[in-house]
Amino acid sequence: LDPKALPRPLDGDVGPTPSPEAYSMNCNPRYLRLTTSAIPNSQSLVSRWHLPLGAVVCPLAEAPDGEEVPVLNFVSTGIIRCRRCRTYVNPYVTFTDAGRKWRCNICSLLNDVPGEYFAHLDATGRRVDLDQRPELTKGSVEFVAPTEYMVRPPMPPLFFFLIDVSISAARSGMIEVVAQTIKSCLDDLPGFPRTQIGFITYDSTIHFYNMKSSLTQPQMMVVSDLDDIFVPLPDDLLVNLSESRSVVEAFLDSLPSMFQDNMNVESAFGPAFKAAFIVMNQLGGKLLIFQNTMPSLGVGHLRLRGEDLRVYGTDKEHALRIPEDLFYKQMAADLTKYQIGVNVYAFSDKYTDIASLGTLAKYTGGQVYYYPSFQSAHHGEKLRHELARDLTRETAWEAVMRIRCGKGIRFTSYHGNFMLRSTDLLALPAVDCDKAYAMQLSLEETLLTNQTVYFQVALLYTASCGERRIRVHTAAAPVVADLGEMYRHADTGAIVSLFCRLAIEKTLSHKLEDARNSVQLRIVKALREYRNLYAVQHRLGGRMIYPESLKFLPLYGLALCKSTPLRGGYADVQLDERCAAGFTMMALPVKKLLKLLYPSLIRVDDYLLKPLVKADEFKNIMRRLPLTMESLDSRGLYIYDDGFRFVLWFGRMISPDIAMSLLGPDAAAELSKVTLSERDTEMSRKLVEMLKKLRENDHSYYQLCNLVRQGEQPREGFLVLTNLVEDAIGGTNG
Amino acid sequence: MTEFLDLESQDGVRMPWNVLPGTKQEASNCVVPVSAIYTPIKRFPDLPVLPYDPLRCRTCRSVLNPFSIVDFAAKIWICPFCFQRNHFPPHYASISDDNLPAELFPQYTTIEYETPAEKSSSSSVFMFVVDICIIEEEMAFLKSALSQAIDLLPDNSLVGLITFGTFVHVHELGFGQIPKTYVFKGSKDVSKDQLLDQMGFFLKKPKPPTGVIAGARDGLSSESISRFLLPASECEFTLNSVLEELQKDPWPVPSDQRATRCTGTALSVAASLLGACVPGSGARIMAFIGGPSTEGLGAIVSKDLSEPIRSHKDLDKDSDPHYHKAVKLYEGLSKQLVHQGHVLDLFACALDQVGVAELKVAVEKTGGLVVLAESFGHSVFKDSLRRIFQSDDYDLGLSSNGVFEINCSKDIKIQGIIGPCSSLEKKGPLCSDTVIGQGNTSAWKMCGLDKATTLCIIFEIVKKDGPDVSIQPSSNQFYFQFLTYYQHSSGQMRLRVTTLSRRWVAGSGSTQDLVAGFDQEAAAVAMARLVSFKMEIEAEFDPIRWLDKALIHLCSRFGDYQKDSPSSFSLSPRLSIFPQFMFNLRRSQFVQVFNNSPDETAYFRIILNRENVANSVVMIQPSLISYSFHSGPEPALLDVAAIAADRILLLDSYFTVVIFHGATIAQWRKAGYHNQPEHQAFAQLLQAPHDDAAVIIKERFPVPRLVVCDQHGSQARFLLAKLNPSATYNSDAPLPGGDVLFTDDVSFEVFLDHLQRLAVQ
Ligand SMILES: [Zn+2]
Ligand SMILES: [Zn+2]
Repeated sequence: LDPKALPRPLDGDVGPTPSPEAYSMNCNPRYLRLTTSAIPNSQSLVSRWHLPLGAVVCPLAEAPDGEEVPVLNFVSTGIIRCRRCRTYVNPYVTFTDAGRKWRCNICSLLNDVPGEYFAHLDATGRRVDLDQRPELTKGSVEFVAPTEYMVRPPMPPLFFFLIDVSISAARSGMIEVVAQTIKSCLDDLPGFPRTQIGFITYDSTIHFYNMKSSLTQPQMMVVSDLDDIFVPLPDDLLVNLSESRSVVEAFLDSLPSMFQDNMNVESAFGPAFKAAFIVMNQLGGKLLIFQNTMPSLGVGHLRLRGEDLRVYGTDKEHALRIPEDLFYKQMAADLTKYQIGVNVYAFSDKYTDIASLGTLAKYTGGQVYYYPSFQSAHHGEKLRHELARDLTRETAWEAVMRIRCGKGIRFTSYHGNFMLRSTDLLALPAVDCDKAYAMQLSLEETLLTNQTVYFQVALLYTASCGERRIRVHTAAAPVVADLGEMYRHADTGAIVSLFCRLAIEKTLSHKLEDARNSVQLRIVKALREYRNLYAVQHRLGGRMIYPESLKFLPLYGLALCKSTPLRGGYADVQLDERCAAGFTMMALPVKKLLKLLYPSLIRVDDYLLKPLVKADEFKNIMRRLPLTMESLDSRGLYIYDDGFRFVLWFGRMISPDIAMSLLGPDAAAELSKVTLSERDTEMSRKLVEMLKKLRENDHSYYQLCNLVRQGEQPREGFLVLTNLVEDAIGGTNG
Repeated sequence: MTEFLDLESQDGVRMPWNVLPGTKQEASNCVVPVSAIYTPIKRFPDLPVLPYDPLRCRTCRSVLNPFSIVDFAAKIWICPFCFQRNHFPPHYASISDDNLPAELFPQYTTIEYETPAEKSSSSSVFMFVVDICIIEEEMAFLKSALSQAIDLLPDNSLVGLITFGTFVHVHELGFGQIPKTYVFKGSKDVSKDQLLDQMGFFLKKPKPPTGVIAGARDGLSSESISRFLLPASECEFTLNSVLEELQKDPWPVPSDQRATRCTGTALSVAASLLGACVPGSGARIMAFIGGPSTEGLGAIVSKDLSEPIRSHKDLDKDSDPHYHKAVKLYEGLSKQLVHQGHVLDLFACALDQVGVAELKVAVEKTGGLVVLAESFGHSVFKDSLRRIFQSDDYDLGLSSNGVFEINCSKDIKIQGIIGPCSSLEKKGPLCSDTVIGQGNTSAWKMCGLDKATTLCIIFEIVKKDGPDVSIQPSSNQFYFQFLTYYQHSSGQMRLRVTTLSRRWVAGSGSTQDLVAGFDQEAAAVAMARLVSFKMEIEAEFDPIRWLDKALIHLCSRFGDYQKDSPSSFSLSPRLSIFPQFMFNLRRSQFVQVFNNSPDETAYFRIILNRENVANSVVMIQPSLISYSFHSGPEPALLDVAAIAADRILLLDSYFTVVIFHGATIAQWRKAGYHNQPEHQAFAQLLQAPHDDAAVIIKERFPVPRLVVCDQHGSQARFLLAKLNPSATYNSDAPLPGGDVLFTDDVSFEVFLDHLQRLAVQ
């Protein structure tokens, strides 16, 4: 199998196959993508399909202007739902009996139409008020929920910060960036004027801050009894931001200098974390952890792992990728119960056991941000951007999500960052537009008789404004009896997403190799199946053939196996980095994941040299190149962009003019020490503008620009070469 | 009387017996023990301070004194205590009969040495420990009092702050950025080591692997110490802003509960912090407490409001579940403080009891000050606190790091000291087997002492009766030497030496001599301290019976009478007031404890045990002055008969000063006559007792409570309670003054009657 012969997604990421006309009322695929939109009607079909059968859901995906999900207020009438299966009224329900009854599209039950919701039907059987009923015409709507959807008054948006202030945290400059960023976001935190905020800092001790609004400045309280954790105040550790605004600002202003001379090398993370939990558990909310020194004291302290090289390649290897101390999983369960979602920001330059720390984010619907060897001068901008995004993006609070589907099929497994509350209810204490969840389904019956299968995703959450809401996405798909149909309607992006999650999960209980093999095997099996299906027609025995819909699958499969969580063995990726990438990828929406797996490589030196470029030419310049060594010309300048970072590759023979214009005197320096900044040259301005444009494609992460010169080892290998997924590198060939 | 006062103004000492009973038997017949009431650093206007080291006896280490016999030719002095012959060192070579060093001047029986080389650099340290479980109003009073105090602190003194309620907050005043505290759970005991670890003392300077951690010299960096203890001049601003934003303990208190207040833990933390940072320096923990301790080892009552705070009755029955635990904690604390040389001062301001009874041991053993008031807004507290930091004629002369030692002639042993000190357990031949108070030692620690601190030293005469008793005229003197090392408020270490000589008598002809040397005031005070002490120490002790027996015994021994003839009984003027003292002592707060709470009793006794004779006498038997148009101010009998409608009375019972307007006076005053120019005399009459009261209040610590009241008014009880009930509701003839006392107490006349009858039997 020669990767270079495979089709490449150079014209942009693969989108889902468009729905046929009959399903035009389906929700937009940004919210829900099926791995194939042709649902097999039999078990035997399923077993021959070989690829994952399921869906990827991104319930809060950002919609372009004008396509926002409409918000409908049903508080007075009550929300119309099927009496039996609790399906929400949607475009696929049918009205009968002169409009007095409606039939549930999922379970077929005939329900009464409540008086307040009644409307006459026209000659074609449609309700006359259809144009005023988005819930009957749009695949995505949002209902304002009445009180029966609440177990308590809707919580206010709440941000709690747990910040490591040990010596290494102080020296990295992390504290300063965090403090400044939080301060700069105070006006944009969702939920004004109800927003709540609070802080704990820690080293070998836990520091609480009294932020009572009547104070002129915050009061710091240090608790150092780690065996018996208590909070020193009943209130005021968590305050209303608008009331205590000046105290909060005073705190953020003093925070960096308060610890600039801190000599404390220890981290009582576990006890501090428990303290934060005690402070937050009345309300729930978002807990942002900024962690620099490996937890060394008290409950949840961690130890250096992964030093014993003999473990690698054995069946004990996976243990390094899961938490050793039960504390983390137990705490994650408690957090979810109390509606607390955790995001972990990790900055250490040493091993810090992301496997354990990340667990807190994984089970609470959060995410892990990893900035290894963070230095504010270098990584500050990335942290600033990503933290700001985290703080200001629209967030759904105290949420639960369920996906329903029609008779005969059933969702059997769920994959992503969340805690499963019952067999099919995902608990999501805090969820936002950057989070996606994957699920697999199976047939409950040997043969499906219905022609259509319906899916309905319902996310019940508290909006930052304090309203309790239900966001409902509905989609339908035909049931087919033909395997070829299934393949033709396959969605590579959704398949890769599911593969990715399944493979990462497998690394938690198996060797990396096993995880990679299982992905490859299934792809090979599927393609073989397809070839067998059409070998006769095409008479092309021995050659690889694939349907249009799956043409990029082999390459993405290959790229997946070379991705950070799965790649190689011990030496290929640092343990923490591997785990961090795993946690990140488990939550990525399809598009973002595809970009990460097959990043774009763009040559830019010609563009920079050209005097003027028209706007429409820009697109041409952004032409993606195959991710292979051959794409790199040593006279060229390339941007590598995987959505998380840029690498700016300077060919060995690049024109000195370009290098000088972009880097000035730094051009001769070792590029690892150089940070790209805008210079007073046309070329520099153009490049910076270009990077800015690239970043605008997706705000969820900030691509920091790494500079590397051809031949600079080992940086070049690490930054670029290993990521040229089409090239064979050190036995990681698919 | 005056001769005793003269002695007091020379040496600061009063003794019940100034001629001593010479034998053990004799002494025991004297009833009132041989004792000395000594004010070690009493301020004298022209006390000589010698700028050199004292000469000491080679054998017994006593200091050269006017009673030493000097052989000028041989340059030898003989120690009056052990008769050791000591050579003068070369720099005394020039001494002669008319070139004496000051310490040999006959009038310099009390003298001080201050060696310039010993200048101590350590400044005084104040650790404020502040209760925050108090209502906002009290908090405001306390804050303003504290900020005034901070204003008055000497610039170079070091200051620390601990606040407490449910938790203990140790303020890191040196942090500089924002107010910062270290928080400790009130219910949990924290050891000194844990404290140091948890407060980050070893972050910049590693913990020494072995040895005791003791300040900047041993184990701690001065940088880490200065996080918590700062020069007053540097932290005044921080301290004031912390106080300004200090909030009431924020933990909710259910209406049926008391606040969670961990006084004991807070004091332990304060002690450990000082012990680690500034051991051996003159540090004071000043505790401001506004309610009962309910949390941790020092709890005196549970949080449940339905459980009352222990009364004397509960303590008598030993039925209080908290008392012993709390006392044990504070005994431990007092040991620690004494070891560190630190003082605990207690300011208890609450309507409730706060636990003075339990804390007493720690205050007393460290020589701390105590003030008890109803509120932080009360002048008793406010003015007392100001007095501590005031530097003028009425300053307290606070000193620290005292060590008190006694030498005495070999026929005398020391039973112990009742007073604010703590045994250093220096055992030796001087120690009696009978121990009273701090005994079994000849050296005591006085962590805190001031110009008023007064000890009562109880001696025992051990010379046996025998045929040779009266035939040694050469040695009919007993000698005592009191040595007090202390850190003067100037920071200098000083040694005060008081050497006393007293004649002893024995045998049949000695009664007159003994009576002539009897100081009945000193005797009354010694008896008061003894009876209080015994009440605290001895279970089932009956103070009335004990006092009565003593008095009867004394009167039998020293009265003039014909056997079995009460009417023939008379007492020498030297003894004549003593029965009245005993009568009033029996009725006083020291003995009649059931009228007061255990806290009040403890308070009264702490003060009794640290005051001089004159002040103690007022506590036992208040003084009463009468003001009227008929005569100038004159002392009045402490009797209900002193009340008259046209008189003003000024009662001084030490803790309370009462100005009492007779009914007519009160009427006139209410009518405003004193504001009319034609009634100037009345205005003056009204003013006179106020002026006199002001004089009393100015000199006294704690500042007494001033009560101004009218006859028949409710506040009049402050006067009536102290008066002899010569007319009660069950006596026949009401007095002209018109007041009768609702009491079943016997009057002095009845008491005296009984006494005479029993004494002559
Ligand atoms: Zn249904
Ligand atoms: Zn001697």
